[in-house]
Amino acid sequence: LSSPAVVFFEVEILDAKTKDKLCFLDKICFLFVSDPQWYPARQSIRLDPKGKSLKDEDVLQHLPVGTTATFYFRDLGAQISWVTVFLTEYTGPLVIYLLFYFRVPFIYPPKYDFTTSKHWVVHLACMCHSFHYVKRLLETLFVHRFSHGTMPLRNIFKNCTYYWGFAAWMAYYINHPLYTPPIYGEQQIRIALIIFLFCQIGNFSIHIALRNLRPPGSKTRKIPYPTKNPFTWIFLLVSCPNYTYELGSWLGFTLMTQCLPVAFFTLVGFIQMTVWAKGKHRSYLKEFRDYPPLRSPILPFIL
Amino acid sequence: MSAAASGTSKAAHGDVAAKRKKGPGALATAYLVIYNVVMTAGWLVIAVGLVRAYLARGSYHGLYYSIEKPLKFFQTGAVLEILHCAVGIVPSSVVLTGFQVMSRVFLTWAVTHSVREVQSEDSVLLFVTAWTVTEIIRYSFYTFSLLNHLPYLIKWARYTFFIVLYPMGVTGELLTIYAALPYVQKTGLYSVTLPNKYNFSFDYYTFLILIMISYIPLFPQLYFHMIRQRKKVLGHIEDYGKVE
Repeated sequence: LSSPAVVFFEVEILDAKTKDKLCFLDKICFLFVSDPQWYPARQSIRLDPKGKSLKDEDVLQHLPVGTTATFYFRDLGAQISWVTVFLTEYTGPLVIYLLFYFRVPFIYPPKYDFTTSKHWVVHLACMCHSFHYVKRLLETLFVHRFSHGTMPLRNIFKNCTYYWGFAAWMAYYINHPLYTPPIYGEQQIRIALIIFLFCQIGNFSIHIALRNLRPPGSKTRKIPYPTKNPFTWIFLLVSCPNYTYELGSWLGFTLMTQCLPVAFFTLVGFIQMTVWAKGKHRSYLKEFRDYPPLRSPILPFIL
Repeated sequence: MSAAASGTSKAAHGDVAAKRKKGPGALATAYLVIYNVVMTAGWLVIAVGLVRAYLARGSYHGLYYSIEKPLKFFQTGAVLEILHCAVGIVPSSVVLTGFQVMSRVFLTWAVTHSVREVQSEDSVLLFVTAWTVTEIIRYSFYTFSLLNHLPYLIKWARYTFFIVLYPMGVTGELLTIYAALPYVQKTGLYSVTLPNKYNFSFDYYTFLILIMISYIPLFPQLYFHMIRQRKKVLGHIEDYGKVE
């Protein structure tokens, strides 16, 4: 990529009617470069080379610069939209799990090709797993409001490896001809299913509540509070209940399938979500002085 | 305005963090010196043990048994180094150090200790020798660095001996894992098969093969990283030569 051409502007803004000079450059303009590979999403403009990126909404007059301002440009690398990443991440597990469920050839010994499991919990697990990822895909398309448009391209490889890899690993065992159903049979499966569904509804309720915090197209940030929906009352105790419910869903799925790889997936996911929840909790505390003190990041009172 | 505010508070925080990161305190330094001295001594014991056993037996065969216990003790002790990074008294990456230490521990316990039949292989002697020389140099390097009296010879040795020792160690390690394969397959060591109530399986034989394959991308990266470090640390000597 060629270096961005440095172009100096003297901009004066005139009132359209009176032609008076207004003199404000009131938006941070993206760098003018001739190479279209330097699209806006991968440009980071900052006041300090190692500092945080300035936002689109930042106003020049409110920044700590004198009459001459020096900005630093940083290339964030190839970017990809969050929506694209989510759709790819979630379609993979959906499809991959089904490949194992239908016992497509070259996975299990040939005599099992295209057979179905004799255990009804295996069918139930397939429905739950598929439901979970269909829900995620629909939420990505219709519910979530993303504050950042894009993320670095290399993330998609990392994320897909994680989701697709684990999905394949779990699905292999659950749909295996030698799969062993849960020890406590129907009772265990029933409780597990209730936990799973409860947490799926909970997770969805939180996503809706978070969506409603933010009017369409805006990037305002507000403290989330419990709504009329009982599933959101957990906001009283937790900053990121969407992660809490997600953990609950996967614990339910682990109990339902009694499968160690599922337990590993749940554990790894829990660790990652805890890291994210702690970060989010910290930024809430920093941004809002009246943030409810009773709340924990992800587990009530514990974590 | 929020950009400015966060900018200044970040700068202040950076200063405080910089002051904190200036190096381990006096107590930590004393502890690290003791740790590195003990480790140097330990690996010297292993070196002496190897030499004495060789002189006594008159052959390279089966020298592992004469240093088995100190090898296990001191190599496993290196796990503390991961803790040192995690706590912050050593400025290295926890992940990198963890990876390096655990690979050594894996070879010591999960391969050599676990598969008796390979203990008499010459490949074991190959990597044990490589490790011993490397560690004696490495730990004395750290000891002297902490005391701010690093003899150039030690620095030179640390950044030069690896050129031979690294491939030597890797060869010994790979040959040992390879030698262990048939016994692992025959006995099903550390392997879990279906069906079982946790719906899980693990094939240690396949796992070892994957480990061996992983050397292919990893070894060159580490090797050339050390070569680049060597140029950086020792390079100026050649520059002086050029000036004349």
